[in-house]
Order: sequence, then C-alpha cells, then structure tokens
Amino acid sequence: MDILSFISPLFVLLTVGGTLVGIIFGAIPGMTATMAVAVCLPVTYSLGLDNGLALLLGLYVGGISGGLVPAILLGIPGTPSSITTTLDGYPMAKAGHGEKALRIGIFASLVGGLVSLLILDLFAPTLADFAIKFSYVEKFLIILFALSVMAALSSDLLLGIFSGFLGIFISLIGTYDVTKGGNGEWRLIPPGTEYWLEQGFSLLPVLIGLFGLAAILDEAETGMKAGMSQKDVKIGQHEKFSLSIFKGQWINLIRSSCIGTFVGILPGVGGSAASILSYSNAKTFSKNPEKFGKGEPAGVMASEAGNNGLTGGALVPLLSLGIPGDSTTALLIGAFTLQGVQVGPLFIGNNPVTWDAMIFAMLIANLAMFVMMYYAIRYFAMVVTIPKYILFPVILMMCVIGAYTINYGIMFDVWTLLIFGIFGWVMTKIRLEVAPFIIGFILGPSAEVYFVKTLESFGDLTIFFTKSWIAVFLWVLIALSVGGSAYLQTKKK
Amino acid sequence: MGNLTHVTINFDTSHLIFPTLIGCILGLLGLAIVIRDRRQLAASGTHWRKILGEMDKTRFFGTLALTVIYFSAMVPVGDIWPNTGMGFLLCSIPLVAASGLLFMRDRTAKKAIPLMIVAVAAPTLVWWLFTDLFFLTLP
Repeated sequence: MDILSFISPLFVLLTVGGTLVGIIFGAIPGMTATMAVAVCLPVTYSLGLDNGLALLLGLYVGGISGGLVPAILLGIPGTPSSITTTLDGYPMAKAGHGEKALRIGIFASLVGGLVSLLILDLFAPTLADFAIKFSYVEKFLIILFALSVMAALSSDLLLGIFSGFLGIFISLIGTYDVTKGGNGEWRLIPPGTEYWLEQGFSLLPVLIGLFGLAAILDEAETGMKAGMSQKDVKIGQHEKFSLSIFKGQWINLIRSSCIGTFVGILPGVGGSAASILSYSNAKTFSKNPEKFGKGEPAGVMASEAGNNGLTGGALVPLLSLGIPGDSTTALLIGAFTLQGVQVGPLFIGNNPVTWDAMIFAMLIANLAMFVMMYYAIRYFAMVVTIPKYILFPVILMMCVIGAYTINYGIMFDVWTLLIFGIFGWVMTKIRLEVAPFIIGFILGPSAEVYFVKTLESFGDLTIFFTKSWIAVFLWVLIALSVGGSAYLQTKKK
Repeated sequence: MGNLTHVTINFDTSHLIFPTLIGCILGLLGLAIVIRDRRQLAASGTHWRKILGEMDKTRFFGTLALTVIYFSAMVPVGDIWPNTGMGFLLCSIPLVAASGLLFMRDRTAKKAIPLMIVAVAAPTLVWWLFTDLFFLTLP
C-alpha cells in the first residue's frame, strides 16, 4: 500500500484531534461516542472522504475509550459500553487506586483496539469477497438477519421486531427511487407534505435527532443534574505503574478482545453486550472469581478490552456487507453518503486507498488514545467536572448545523431533527428500541429493492428459501436468533 | 402450492408492494402487542401521568420551547442579511445563553459569566468555521 497517498499531517491531526474530542465525550456521563460522531459529522463535509473518516474513527475510538474515566472514578459508566468497568474499577478507586485502575483500563483498551483492528484487516476483505457473489435474495435475507439479531437482543423481542419494521416503514416514505429501479411514484406521504417529503426523511437529521436531541431532552427531563465537583473524583495518589500487573492476564486480554470483536461483528449488538460477555467470561475462567466486583484488576481488563474490541468488529459488517455493526457505525454510513460512496461488498475492492486509510486511522487513533490517556489521565479525569449547562446548549447548536447542511440548506431537515428528537424520547418511554429502528430505517430502502426486484425476476416467493444454500443457512440463523430469544424471554418470565 | 406462492409484479404499482407488506406486518405485530400488553396499555394513562409527575417540566418544556423558537427565528433573521449565515449566528448566541441558564442549577454570576463567554464564542467560532473555512450555507 502507498501510505503517502492518503497520510498527511492533516490526516494525523484529524485522527488525533478526533480521538481527543471523543475521549472528552466518552468521559462525560450522558454523552456517548455516537453523539460525538453525530455532532462532528458536518465538519467532514469539506474534508474529503479519507480525512473525514480519520476524524470520525478517532471520535469513535476515543468515545468508547473515554467511558472508563467516570466508570472508574465516579462509579457511573460514561458510555453504556463501560458498564462492567464500574464493577471493579470503582472499588479500586475507592480504595485509593484510581490512577492504577485507569491505567489498567487504558492498556486493556489499547490491546482490545489493536486485536480488533487486526481481525478487521484480515476478515473484512475476505467476507466482502464472499459477499460479492450474493444475489438480491441473500442480500435481503442478510438485512432480515441483522434486524432479527437486534430484535432478539432487545429487552422485549416483540417490541424489538416492531421497532425494526417501524424503521423500515418510515424509510419508505417518499418516492420509489428511479435510480434504484423504482417507478418514481410517491407513497406514504401525508397530504399537504408532498413538497417536503418527496425524497422522504434524510438519514442524518433522523440520526442526529435520535442520538443528539433525544439525549438532551432526556437530560432536561431529569432536571440536568449538577455535574461532579473535583472532590467527587477519586483518582487517588500517584502510583508507579508496571506492566507486571498483566502477568497471567494475557489470555484474559486476548479472549476479551476477541469476544468484543465478535460481538461487534454481529449487527447492532453494541458495546454493553461486548463488555458484559467479556467480563462474565473472565470471571468464569478466573482462579479467584470471588474477587470480581470487589476491585479485581482482571475485571477492568476484561471489560475494557471487550468494549474496545468492538470498534474494529463493528466495522466488519459495515465495510463488507453495508450493514452497520452498531449505532455509531450507522452514523459512519452518513459520512459515506455525504461523499457519494456506497458501502457494501464492493467497497474495499473499489476503494483500496480509503480502506487503507481507515485501517491507519484506527491504528493511529488507538495509539493516540493510549498515549494521551496514559500520560494525561489526571487532566482527563477533570473532564467529568465540565458542567452540562455549558455542553448541552453547544451540542444543540451543532445538531442544527449537521441537519441543515446535509442537503445544502433545507430548513425541513432541521425540523426533522426536532421531530425525531421528540420521537426518540417518546420511544424510550414506550419501550421501543432505537437500535433496530435505526437499522430498519437505514436498510429499509435497500430491502425494498432486493425484495421487489427478486419477485420481478423470479415471480415466486419460494425463491427466498430455495435460491442457494446460503439462503437456507440465513433462514436457519434468523430462526435461531428469534426462536432462541423467544425461548430465553419465556424462561425468564 | 405453486399458485399460492406465485407473484406477478405490475411495474406501475410496484411502489406500493413493499410498504403494503411492511404495513401489514406492523399491523399484525401491533395487534400482538396490544393483546399481550392489554393491561399495561389500559393503564398507560397512569404511566404517562407518572412520567409527567416526575419530570422537570420547566427544563423539559423550556428546552422544547427554546428549540422551536430557535428553529423558527433562524430563517427570518437570516433573510435580513441573505447568504451570510447571520440567522444562525444571531439566533445561536441567545439560544446557548438561554438554554444554558435554563439548564443551570443555583444560578450565580460566577457560573453565568463563563456560560455567557461560551454563548458568544462557540457560535461565532462555528459560524466562522463553516462559512469562511468550509464555505457551507448557514441560515
């Protein structure tokens, strides 16, 4: 690969800057990597694809990593993916070993990030090569599988499936796109709204509304609780840190990184599942499981290696199949759309430079995250004290920029942001799931084309079951994910 | 069986096939949810009353009101100085200041001064970045 074709001081600066901003977002409870990417997406308009992705991938890696700071120092997970870091990190901090716990988490995050990057580099091109052979039938079934996995992992299977189909339904509002083989006719447009909804709802305002404005409304609902003061931050005294603490823990680190990566590859599962699975495995295989939850460093290692393992894993389905691995990578689709690039099986082959740039950006982001957090952890610890009454108004303003500039200045996109911000808030109140909704919304138009064109070509519904062994295999996976989830939920009741 | 699974697509009405199918699935899922959760749905009034009761109404509805005013004002203000992004800048400064004060607990001058500095600096910086550096249209 010709590194010089994409790497430049600006590329490195954007990756490092993105990582820094991502860490800050991740470190503030209530703000997530997804929100960081949503807010900074408009900045990529003028950067070009490679530089834009460098910034966003930095935000992604930084956002996931930053969550460990409040998880350890305050006992509050900064992001959902650091939920299990609190279990052992916070007891360590209370015992005066906050700095040590942070450094363990930072090192484990680096290992998780690098292992997942290696798997991404090896696995995504192979999967993409395989997926190139897929016909519309298999492509449709992969979307169905992605939705079924996400619905299966929802707290309520029925509501999860409903959310996914609702996302598809709303994505169909507008014109049946001629460029995708449609007939150019309108559908599902309420009378009087034809002028605004002819092209349907734009992806980015919907995403920014659901992840940005909805989070602000959620905070406002609970009264925008006062931030933490410096005395709440239990960083403890400076302690000499040695890698010897990882002696006997390398299997735990590698296993957790691989679990995180695997969870990331499953569409829409998310970082919290990655860290919970890694943590429970570390506990199961530990010689001292009774120490877990009481300040065991191995617990922090497993949780952080697991959630950072997710970062590379979630990019595998995105870059090889065009299906986002989690909500943050769903936003990355927005970045590709802005630059007129379609992600899917042909992406890596057609865009080798961008592919290499993404791998390098991830590498730089992981290394930058480690260097910045390891050496400046006491400063990052103070980030949790930044007051929300300053941050959230600025985020609201940035949300508007992102929505307004997506289609070069259409005010309806800003109103879409408000509509879906309120809708996102309501969804949580009626227990609908945002992740399946988003994936349904993103993949709905493609699912329609694959479904209708298959029927136009073959004229028979049985083709979805008989086209190939891959189709049969995908149906088995769909049945297993839905059936398994239904069984587990019934058993739980 | 062959006749049951056979489908003929009319291109002129092909735009309605998938939405109709998804609509039917949503209807069935909705019905299943209604049957399963009928007791909870019957008590949904209590559920929403509880949410509204526990909610910080001033901050929640204040945020919504400020957002609506902000969105509504941007274009008319921007039309006074077309193609300069002034609508965004002149509306964002009061939005950041007002919503910051709304979100703030125990309002004091010591807390308000940094907020006011941010309220002026952040929109100005963003406005300059997007209009002068990225050449993007703002209201």
